[in-house]
Amino acid sequence: MQLIDELKQIVGEEWVISSDEKRLYGFDGLSAVKGEPELVILPGSEEEVVKVIRLLISRRKKVIVRGSGTSLSGATVPLNGDEVVVGLSRINKVYSIQGLEIEVGPGIVNAIVTKNAPSHLFYAPDPASYQVSSIGGNISHDSGGIHVVKYGPTYNSVIRLKVILPNGEIEEFKPSPFLNPSSIFIGAEGTLGAILRARLRLFVRPKEKKSVIASFNSLRDAANTIVEIFRSGVIPSALEMMDRYSIIAIEKSRYKAGLPESEALLLIELDGSQVSEEESRVKYVINNNGGEIISTKDDSKYWNARKGAFPAMGTISPAYITLDCNVLRSNLAETLEKIREISRKYNVYIANVFHAGDGNLHPLISYNPEDFDSFYRAVRASDEIEKLVINNGGVPSGEHGIGIEKVKYLGVYYDEISLGVMKRLKITFDPEGLFNPCKMFGNCKVNSRELKVLWEWD
Amino acid sequence: MGMGLKEELSKCVHCGFCLEACPTYVITRSETHSPRGRITAVKLGISSVGLNTCMFCRRCELACPSGVKYSDIITSVRKPNVIEKVLVRMLERPETLTHFIKPVLRLNGFTPLSYEEEDYDLVLFPGCIMSVVFRSTVENALRFLKNRGYRVKILNGCCGLAHTHVGETRRAEELISKLKEIKKPIVSLSSNCSAHMKEKGLNVYDFSEFLVKFVKELPKKDMEVTLHQPCHAHLSGIDKYDRQVLEIMGIRIREAEEPSFECGAGGDYFIFNKNMASQVMQIKKEKTLKSGVNTVVSTNPSCSIAFIKMGLNPIHIADLIFK
Repeated sequence: MQLIDELKQIVGEEWVISSDEKRLYGFDGLSAVKGEPELVILPGSEEEVVKVIRLLISRRKKVIVRGSGTSLSGATVPLNGDEVVVGLSRINKVYSIQGLEIEVGPGIVNAIVTKNAPSHLFYAPDPASYQVSSIGGNISHDSGGIHVVKYGPTYNSVIRLKVILPNGEIEEFKPSPFLNPSSIFIGAEGTLGAILRARLRLFVRPKEKKSVIASFNSLRDAANTIVEIFRSGVIPSALEMMDRYSIIAIEKSRYKAGLPESEALLLIELDGSQVSEEESRVKYVINNNGGEIISTKDDSKYWNARKGAFPAMGTISPAYITLDCNVLRSNLAETLEKIREISRKYNVYIANVFHAGDGNLHPLISYNPEDFDSFYRAVRASDEIEKLVINNGGVPSGEHGIGIEKVKYLGVYYDEISLGVMKRLKITFDPEGLFNPCKMFGNCKVNSRELKVLWEWD
Repeated sequence: MGMGLKEELSKCVHCGFCLEACPTYVITRSETHSPRGRITAVKLGISSVGLNTCMFCRRCELACPSGVKYSDIITSVRKPNVIEKVLVRMLERPETLTHFIKPVLRLNGFTPLSYEEEDYDLVLFPGCIMSVVFRSTVENALRFLKNRGYRVKILNGCCGLAHTHVGETRRAEELISKLKEIKKPIVSLSSNCSAHMKEKGLNVYDFSEFLVKFVKELPKKDMEVTLHQPCHAHLSGIDKYDRQVLEIMGIRIREAEEPSFECGAGGDYFIFNKNMASQVMQIKKEKTLKSGVNTVVSTNPSCSIAFIKMGLNPIHIADLIFK
């Protein structure tokens, strides 16, 4: 029997896509590179997922596990054309809720986890895509969000995983303070197998929340404020920064909120049981560093402006590259100043709007997809920013993953020995390289000029 | 491909933020039946069953951070089938529908109410489905307006939203041009039609909007209801007037989950896509019942039909006044 017929027997005819419609699964949230899978399978239960994956493995087919398809690093793009996309968005059950733990299928949407939790609890990691992105994808990217600074990225909220490995075996890792196998799958971007179930940690909802908004006339003052907030013993639940260029973009867009055009705007959220004490400490730090506190009855308009900051870039150019490198908080000011120089050097518009509390930068580098030269310059600017960050003790990606977008930066960040360890891990789990080929380590034919610019230095 | 269309298509950066707003994605969880998938299908020029399964609720437009006008993209490729072509023509003359209501919807069909006063102040526009399925609502609205001293003319016809939905865009424009000839203010009883006519630049008040802006004082009622926000009314923002009217009347609103979630009717969608429509209705029913009440204030007739099919009690604002 043909593979496609066997697959149809497992999942039913309507859930196997082999017509032109399979091209609808050729991309995700990375706009620069698209592909086309050989087939798309959308199993409807965990049992079907296992059967499908075992069958594909037995035929030595390449497998790309996909959730909602919102990866910003292109982690689910089928580059070669011989990959089978296994979409898990239908595997979205809640299996159990007990104490501070909830067990879910990988296709469940991040926001739905909190919705299912008892009202006094919440699931903390909240990437900007939380209304649509899936837990399986969040785990595979170790997704972050604005509350990482206090509650940690997805890593801190995963208790145990059930996975199917590239040899077809199912493993259930118990929670472990020892050698913890679950951790290997967090951030693995689907290269080591597929997540079938996850038990997640829920946090108790804070009693109180309070926002402090402040504007600054110098990047340095804003950066010093960030460092000193932590020195004063306060860990905010969110600490976001928007620079002049993101403020300009927001004010041009439908997200405009009457933001003051300053060098930097800090949005600080405090939560817990000592909010008012923390508020006065934070305000003291801001005043001491030349910041101006914006007193407002409605702080939601500032947070909404922050939410709109990415799409607001549409007013500058139709597309943009989103980096997510991490820097030391003490390097923030210098890094931001250098990014401005890089922006001038490559003649690209770069806005910075980011999770300042954990040093997770988001330089948004604009380009026009119709104009290859502008894409080229945007990538070269991105190359320079990544090198700068990594050479100063930073990390190439804080929450969006390596995917196909940042393959070349991995080699800057890790030395040969570390890369060797990662590759040995990959080979141990997936000796034939069936799971999510071309991601993280690259090693595939460069079949488009966009990919060439992304993967090769000048 | 027109310039406007090309520009709309290029605005989509396939972030996927529209997925969960889409009722057919929610039930299938398949890219094929999602706004992002449909936009991509149009962009790539491929034929996809998803292009025919869109319920045209346009909730994706509210979810889209890039402001893609999805409706322009989907209507550019929609082609009505023969039955739809005949059906939308019939909607233009609602009296031709009366005898089809029973066999098709299993609800009683009525003859549309005709009424015209000399030198009328305003035109009451029930909307095609309202006029034949919910005639008593039209009677109540008329009674109310007359009690308040307005001279009224009832205009039974179609606003063209249904035409737009199935891709009969040219005819839809013609209907709007005809309505534009009316020089008196229009009070519309079907809130999705109100939204459509407003979007097309007509001088029209949704019934609730008219109450809030010109009537202001309304009878108090000791009641508990939940409020459905019809999709197009929600997109245009006029659903806020329903809420304000209920507040003026002292009616307590028990919130449903996602009150703007698609009802499942999708205009005539539930007639031609029974299977998907009934799955959406099932979800809508669960979300609505989370309010704890089964009286649903619904200002749009096809939504009200959906609620009747779910076994709930829809009620229009005009009926609430005389309750």
